[in-house]
Amino acid sequence: MSQSVLWEVVKGNNAFLVKRNGLTLSTDPFNNTGVQTYSSTGFITKNAIGVVPTQSKVNQINNVNLVARKSTKFQQVDRKTKNTQSVYASTLSVKHGIHTASRVIRKRFGTRRLGLQKAALRKLVKLNRANSVRRRNEIAATKAQKK
Amino acid sequence: MTSVPLVSVFSADDSSKVTAKHIPLPAVFQTPIRPDIVSFVHTNIAKNRRQAHAVNPQAGMQHSAESWGTGRAVARIPRVSGSGTHRSGQAAFGNQCRKGRMSLPIKVWRRWHRRVNIKQKRHAAATAVAATGIVPLVLARGHRISQVPQIPLVVEDKIESYEKTTDALNFLKRFGAFEDVQKVVSTKVVRAGISKQRGKKYRVRKGPLVVYFNENAKLLKAFRNVPGVEVVNVTRLNLLQLAPGGQLGRFVIWTQSAFAHLDKLFGTYRYTSIIKDGYQLLRPLITNPDLARIINSNQVQEKVQPAKTTKVLHEVQKKNPLKNSKAMDRLNPYAKKQRAAAVAAIKANTKGTKKIKKNKALKKASRAAYNKVAASLNDATKAAVQEEQDIKVKYFSVQKGAAQTE
Repeated sequence: MSQSVLWEVVKGNNAFLVKRNGLTLSTDPFNNTGVQTYSSTGFITKNAIGVVPTQSKVNQINNVNLVARKSTKFQQVDRKTKNTQSVYASTLSVKHGIHTASRVIRKRFGTRRLGLQKAALRKLVKLNRANSVRRRNEIAATKAQKK
Repeated sequence: MTSVPLVSVFSADDSSKVTAKHIPLPAVFQTPIRPDIVSFVHTNIAKNRRQAHAVNPQAGMQHSAESWGTGRAVARIPRVSGSGTHRSGQAAFGNQCRKGRMSLPIKVWRRWHRRVNIKQKRHAAATAVAATGIVPLVLARGHRISQVPQIPLVVEDKIESYEKTTDALNFLKRFGAFEDVQKVVSTKVVRAGISKQRGKKYRVRKGPLVVYFNENAKLLKAFRNVPGVEVVNVTRLNLLQLAPGGQLGRFVIWTQSAFAHLDKLFGTYRYTSIIKDGYQLLRPLITNPDLARIINSNQVQEKVQPAKTTKVLHEVQKKNPLKNSKAMDRLNPYAKKQRAAAVAAIKANTKGTKKIKKNKALKKASRAAYNKVAASLNDATKAAVQEEQDIKVKYFSVQKGAAQTE
């Protein structure tokens, strides 16, 4: 379904919409800006990439996942693939390298949609930084404990 | 739509197995999405389950109240007759009065129900069915479908013979629909307001809708105790279930025979419906609604004028050319050469002169002299301060080290 048509249905009300303090925000996993706008709403497109933190405990980002939106035209999910797949997205863990992840983002967008690309990369960097800070603190804490 | 999209039918026991690989999608799923029709029909049809209620016609009127008229320094509202109680003389009957009857009291013969044109109702139902096959709409409605293998989800008829709730639950788990059920369970809330005392204690979300075909199916009993799950026969598809709250995109699980029946039920674009006599599916106003594609298509781009580049008349922020060399160059292209010439001239003038070397010894000596002077100054100030202290002690009998109050 075309993005424009879906937007007309979804813009007024959807499960990800959050309106607070005069702001119109979105918890859409494919939205890297957090604000609900036509271009940034990824779940109505065929090819968006969401940068999503995975948490085991509250306020802890253990890992960052890339959730890649894919065409959902009556596709059957291939359960044999390594990356977890769903009808509407395939997930790639960023555990092994932020550079690989950024390449995935860049390749997906190519030379187009620089705004969206930048937003995705920005979010990736921020989450990764938060993650490394947390890891550093953890390591420091365990070292202190040993002493 | 030149090619017909194909859908797989899954085995009830194993979600990775497919019993029928490619079934053509019923035409209903290609109906244009019309939230305006659905919204209109829904708001009206939702009123049809209402039960008549009314206010007691005598409420607030069971007084022999009469207005006191003018001349008594009170408002002309009817007042309660009699005496011996606080109530006497108080205002009565008006909607503005305390204990008065409401304005326009609700009557039982209020028009509770709405009739909607059959065609509109059918179009709405068709659109709602189409929306259940569109993943972003189902996501937007808030269903948890990340583990569901396919949308629309079609399962073999075996589930129609489920009798036990455990079978139903296991089936939902196998097909990733349990996440949606869990959402329903975890978001069950006590309702705000008086309704909770009137038999509607909880507000419960909607989960998956299971659609079956055979009338003798037992799955109703299997699924009915699962929170959030609703079961309905294809022939009785209800807009209030397909688009709860007027919001398109319910998560629907179809049985194979129910899915196959949809073509007979709604007809296709090649023939009208058999069951809904003479009903023809809504045709789209635009066959290709993808704006981006239309704009980027060859046909449009050929005719379209080239994009205008914004012409910059002047810089946004004024730079001072006397200080900013680039700004100067913009005004006077020769300025660059002038500057270079000036630099060269200075260089030529100073070619023969020696560089003044810093004398380290001189520096050391001067520093020593400075320190000497500073030290003597320090001593002098110390002496002066001490002298002052002595004088104070001598003439004003101030104790040494005591705080000075002056």
